[in-house]
Amino acid sequence: MAVTAGPSPTDAAPVRSPRAWLSQYSWLGMGFAFSLSLFYLIMFVIPFGTAIWLSFNNWDYIQKPVFVNTRNFEKLLGDPGFWNALWTTVRFSAVEIFVALSLALLLALALSHLRPVYQYTLLAIYNLPVIMPGIVSVLLWKWLYRTNGGAFNAILESVGLPQQPFSKSPDQALWCITLMVVWIFLGNSSIVLLAAINEVPDSLLEAAQLDGASAWKRFTAVTLPLIQPAMAYQVVTSIIGTMQMFEPFQLMPGPGHSTRTLSLYTYQLGFEVLNLGYGAAVSIAMFVILLSATLFELQRRRRSWDY
Amino acid sequence: MTATTDLARLSTPYWQRTRWQTWLLIAVLIGGGFVMLYPFAWLVLSAFKLPADIIRIPPTLWPEEWSLEAFQVVLSHKIGGGSLTRSYLNSLFVTITTVIAVLITSTLGGYCFARLRFPLREPLFYFVLSTTMVPFLTLLIPLYVVMDRLELLNTLWVLIVPSVFSSFGIFLCRQFVYGIPVELYDAAKIDGAGDFTIYTRIIVGMMKPVISVLAIFSFRATFNDYLWPLVTITDGGNYTLPLALRGIGNSFGWFDYSKVMASSLLTLIPPLIVFFIFQRNLVKGIALTGIKG
Repeated sequence: MAVTAGPSPTDAAPVRSPRAWLSQYSWLGMGFAFSLSLFYLIMFVIPFGTAIWLSFNNWDYIQKPVFVNTRNFEKLLGDPGFWNALWTTVRFSAVEIFVALSLALLLALALSHLRPVYQYTLLAIYNLPVIMPGIVSVLLWKWLYRTNGGAFNAILESVGLPQQPFSKSPDQALWCITLMVVWIFLGNSSIVLLAAINEVPDSLLEAAQLDGASAWKRFTAVTLPLIQPAMAYQVVTSIIGTMQMFEPFQLMPGPGHSTRTLSLYTYQLGFEVLNLGYGAAVSIAMFVILLSATLFELQRRRRSWDY
Repeated sequence: MTATTDLARLSTPYWQRTRWQTWLLIAVLIGGGFVMLYPFAWLVLSAFKLPADIIRIPPTLWPEEWSLEAFQVVLSHKIGGGSLTRSYLNSLFVTITTVIAVLITSTLGGYCFARLRFPLREPLFYFVLSTTMVPFLTLLIPLYVVMDRLELLNTLWVLIVPSVFSSFGIFLCRQFVYGIPVELYDAAKIDGAGDFTIYTRIIVGMMKPVISVLAIFSFRATFNDYLWPLVTITDGGNYTLPLALRGIGNSFGWFDYSKVMASSLLTLIPPLIVFFIFQRNLVKGIALTGIKG
C-alpha cells in the first residue's frame, strides 16, 4: 500500500526554549499520541514481547516459567504435528484462494456487464454469507454435510450418485471446509474486483475492439493488467485471512488431525494441553511464515504491475 | 476523491450487445444466486420444523407443518447460567460500545495523524500500521495473560478494551483526511478555532462516508467474533451470541437441529438489519478499502 506523506500544517518555528519547542505542537495531537501509545504498549508491545520471550521458555500457566533457550524451536523442527499443520494450512489457503479468486473474477466480469441496479441487487445476494457470524455458517454446513439425512447427500442420491462421507473422511474433510469458506467470501472478493473492473476506461476497450481484439484478448491484454492491484490486494488479504482462520477447523474437524491447521494447533497447545512456551514458539513460526508469504506475494505482484 | 467507488458508470457499454445476451447473463447470475442461497434456505426453513420433521431421511426442505416450537424452546433454554436473551443483550452491548469507541478513536486518530503536529508523528503511525502484520493467534496467549493481570477476564470489558483502537480504522481515516482540503483547516485556524473544535465542527461532518464503512466493518468484526470470547469468557451469563450458539449446538446438535437453526436465525437479525440498511455503503466501502493505496 502506498502511503502518501501529508503536508505539515504549518512550518516549524525555530526552536529556542523547551516552551517554544512545545508550543509548535498541538495539545490535542500530543494527548492522542499519548493515549494511543499507552494502548498499544499494553495491547500489543507487551503481548508480542511476551510471546517472543515465552517461546524461549516452558510454562504450564501454574508453575514458574523455565528458560529452555531454543529448545522449543528445535522441537518444532522435528515435530510432525507442526509440519502436518503447516501443510494443511498451506493446502487449504492455496486452494481456497485459487478457487475463490477465479470464481470471484468470473462473477465480477459477469456483473460488470449489467446496469448498476442489477449489480447491487445481485451482489446483495452473493454477499449474504459474508455478514453471518462464522459459527452460524459452520453449524449450518456441518448439518448439510451429515452422512445420514444431510442435504448434500440427499442431492447426490436424487441424481443417482454414490453417498459421500464428507467431513467424516480424512480425505474430504479439508475440502468440505474449503468449499464452505469459498461460499462465505465469494461476494466479498467480487466486490473489490468489480470496482476495479468498472474503473477500466471504456476508451481502452473500445480502442482494442477497433483494432480487432477478441473478447478474450481484450480481457487478458487490457482488463487483467489494469486490475492487478486489486487482485494483489485480494490475494494478500486472503492469505492473511485464510492462514488465521479458526472457527471451521475447531467446530467442523475432520477425523484425526486431517484438518488441524496452524491456528488450531496454536490454540490447542495454549489452551488445551497448556504447553504455553511451545505454543508461543509455534505462533511465532506462524507469524514469520505469514509475513514472508505476504511480502513475497507483494513483491512478486509489484514487479508485474510496475509498467 | 477519485471515482474509485463509482460502480454506476456502465450505462454506456463499450460493445454492442443484444438484449437476449443480457437476459441470459442475468439468468445465469440469478441461478448462481440460488446456489448461494440454497444453504441459507435450509437454515430458515428448518428453524420452523418440528422434531419429528427434522430428523427425516431423506430430508425435506419445506416444513411439513410450520411450528414456532424451536424458538420457544431455545428462548427458555439455560446456557451455562445464561440464556439466549442474555447473550443477545451482551452481544449488543459489546458491539455497540466497541463500534462507538472505534469510530471516535479512528476519526480522531486520522485527523491527528493527517493534520496536527506532535513529536514522533510519522514513526508512531507506521508502528500502528505494522501491528496489523502480527497474527492475532500470536498475541492470543500473552493477551490472555495481560487480561488476567488486569482482572478483566470473564467480564464483558475484556471483549471491548482490546478493540478500542483500530489500526485499520486509523489508517483508513488518515487517508481520508488527506483528501479534505487543508485550506479548510487553515481557514478555521485563522478564525480562531481550536484543534478540537475543528475536529468536531468540520472534520467529523466531512468524514461521513468513511464513518459508515468503518461502522459496518467494526460491527461485523465484533458481533461475529468467536475465538477471543471463547478464550476469555467462561461464565454463561457473560456469553455473547456466538458462544451461546456453540452451547446450543452442544446441547441440541445431534438430537434436534431445528433448535440450532432457530437460534442461528435469531442471531442473524441484527447483522441482517445492518446489512440491508448499509448494503450500498458496504459495497462502496469494500471497494474503497480495496483499491485505495
